[in-house]
Amino acid sequence: MMPLTMMAVGTAASVKKVGGREETKRFLENLGFVQGAVVSVVSEMGGNVIVNVKDSRVAISRAMANKIIISM
Amino acid sequence: MSVKIALAGNPNSGKTTLFNALTGSSQHVGNWPGVTVEKKEGKIKGQADVRLVDLPGIYSLSPYTLEEVVARDYLTKERPDAIINIVDGSNIERNLYLTTQVMELGIPVIVALNMMDVVRKNGDIIDVKKLSAALGCEVVEISALRGTGVAEIAKKAAALASSGKQTPPQHTFNEVVEAALHTLADLLPADIKPEQKRWYAVKLFERDKKVLQSVSLTAKMEEIIGCTEETLEDDAESIITNERYEYISGLVRGCVRKKRKGLSVSDKIDRVVTNRFLALPIFAVVMFLVYYVSVTTVGGWATDWANDGLFGDGFHLFGVWIPGIPVLLGNVLEKLGTAEWLNSLILDGIVGGVGAVLGFVPQMLVLFIFLAFLEACGYMARIAFIMDRIFRKFGLSGKSFIPILIGTGCGVPGVMASRTIENDRDRKMTIITTTFIPCGAKLPIIALIAGALFDGAWWVSPSAYFVGIAAIIVSGIMLKKTKLFAGDPAPFVMELPAYHLPTAGNVLRSMWERGWSFIKKAGTIILLSTIVLWFLQGFGFEDGAFGMVEDLNNSVLANVGSVIAFLFAPLGWGDWKAAVAAVTGLIAKENVVGTFGILFGFAEVAEDGAEVWGTLAASYSALAAYSFLVFNLLCAPCFAAIGAIKREMNSAKWTWFAIGYQCIFAYVISLCIYQIGSVFAGGAFGIGTVVAIVLAAVLIYLIFRPNPYKETLSRRTQVRSVQA
Repeated sequence: MMPLTMMAVGTAASVKKVGGREETKRFLENLGFVQGAVVSVVSEMGGNVIVNVKDSRVAISRAMANKIIISM
Repeated sequence: MSVKIALAGNPNSGKTTLFNALTGSSQHVGNWPGVTVEKKEGKIKGQADVRLVDLPGIYSLSPYTLEEVVARDYLTKERPDAIINIVDGSNIERNLYLTTQVMELGIPVIVALNMMDVVRKNGDIIDVKKLSAALGCEVVEISALRGTGVAEIAKKAAALASSGKQTPPQHTFNEVVEAALHTLADLLPADIKPEQKRWYAVKLFERDKKVLQSVSLTAKMEEIIGCTEETLEDDAESIITNERYEYISGLVRGCVRKKRKGLSVSDKIDRVVTNRFLALPIFAVVMFLVYYVSVTTVGGWATDWANDGLFGDGFHLFGVWIPGIPVLLGNVLEKLGTAEWLNSLILDGIVGGVGAVLGFVPQMLVLFIFLAFLEACGYMARIAFIMDRIFRKFGLSGKSFIPILIGTGCGVPGVMASRTIENDRDRKMTIITTTFIPCGAKLPIIALIAGALFDGAWWVSPSAYFVGIAAIIVSGIMLKKTKLFAGDPAPFVMELPAYHLPTAGNVLRSMWERGWSFIKKAGTIILLSTIVLWFLQGFGFEDGAFGMVEDLNNSVLANVGSVIAFLFAPLGWGDWKAAVAAVTGLIAKENVVGTFGILFGFAEVAEDGAEVWGTLAASYSALAAYSFLVFNLLCAPCFAAIGAIKREMNSAKWTWFAIGYQCIFAYVISLCIYQIGSVFAGGAFGIGTVVAIVLAAVLIYLIFRPNPYKETLSRRTQVRSVQA
């Protein structure tokens, strides 16, 4: 279990929990960040990440990526 | 009888392309009532009496974003006769999430499975029959980009809408949730129609704020929801979200066969383009190319042609000399033998004024082609991602960069582009600061000042952009520390579309939509104001009678100018001509150059006002001219852009705040530049200098003071952690 920001580029993991503000949490869930969804990191820039989830790419800032908990 | 069909789908699912393909040119663009979300309506080609309403791009029907609320309200209150749900076949899982919600509304649905060309190219197979049976509605394979299947979906949707045949949802959640939903459905008020029961049951289960306003939750219902939450150890809303995705995963496993090939092309491009070392250099090169081509080469030629040819003496077309519009019109008027004042109004006033504005159109269109291409191919979304890290430091989000980028062409579409920013505070701040960046129309002012006072020095033009960027940064930092804008910028979460080559049609359409908003302003507000301006400067009291004046110093304009000129004296340019020039800049920024031309007694001047350079240099010091330049760059934009600000702010109070802030900010900065600069240039130390230094100190304090609102926030979290 670790935050999404710790993932190395190119690796995949599954989502355990999404934290953070209610609104953002809902938005991320709607985008497919639900429990068990497989995510992989495409690119990383100063903590901001581009993540592959359910065949789409989502850019997430560091603060938010820190609140997505994943397990390898 | 006419029928109404709504088009719903995810952002980046090809919705706009499909809408354009379905309706062709019969479109009406407006706003949804009361909000600044664009509403497009049109008639479906080849289908009599079928109206198509384009809903905003949404990921779900939850009530969290403005777009979702608008789409939901339309679907639940207006209840169209049918819904076309566009689904991106290459991103089917995420897209079907919305489909499951749309199916529950109790409105007939037909699914347009888009991007089938991409799906096939990837070697993936989608079992459409199986998918259609599982969803409970017809599924049509299309490619909006290539136009395949568009006629079929139009025909089938129209037939579905007129038949009124329901397409009840077929998807189910796990037993515990289903049991709860069934009980809730039975407890619903009797006046809810059977086909809408599922929707209300699900929404009540989620404790949806909007639905709770019309249907109240009884104690019994609350108990059922509470029980289910306890059993599944999650909150009701997350339970439904998870269940939907759970169901869709199963469905996709059964209907879609993917040919896994490792990284997709899009991901490979992103590996390079958003790479932490390469991202900024690549971005810089792309921007350089865009501006080099649109300002100096192609755009430059086009502007020269428009200004010196079309609206000048004339031009050569394949060796044939074609006279310009002023020449042609002049000849016609001469033949007609019209009065001299009318000739002057038409040639000097209208053609001169409006022509100067329209002269920018070609250059702007070239720039907009590039921006439309960057947007359509998917790079624009990456720019927001790349710039977010930097912009966050100034209290803005990466999404603020796109409006500013478009604002370098014209502030009107720039301000309009701020719509994509969901967070209200971030959007307002972006609207206020976007017009600080020099737009296409401010370039002639820069060229005039650089040419006349600085001998065409290379650094004047870059310095103008620097001033614009600095103004945005400083304003971002300052405003963020005020109560109005306090709080961190919203966390950056943005879907990045897959890279793809856009069609020429879509790029041109987008270019035209932006360019048209500029041309429209030239045809209306600028036309009107050039007539007023022509009158004000041509008429006045001379020799005790009102009439056309010989001496410009007797004109109404000169009188008005002299009254307000004192305001600008502290900025170093307190004579009425400069004051009037700045005021005419409100009509359109490029007017400033033309006004100087007229006021210094030249009938027509070139775009950079080369004729008046000598007179201007004799009238103002270099410092005063630079202060004039900075004021015009930063103060309230032209009326057309102010109109755009008003539309986007959707509030008179906020519009006035934006204009007031821009003007005061411009005044203070120009004052500091002139007054403090004068001392360095060997001038006397006076009251003005003291005022300027005090203002500069206040400014620096406002930038560097600790954020009073952030502090309370961190203190609060500290207290909480101590308690914990």
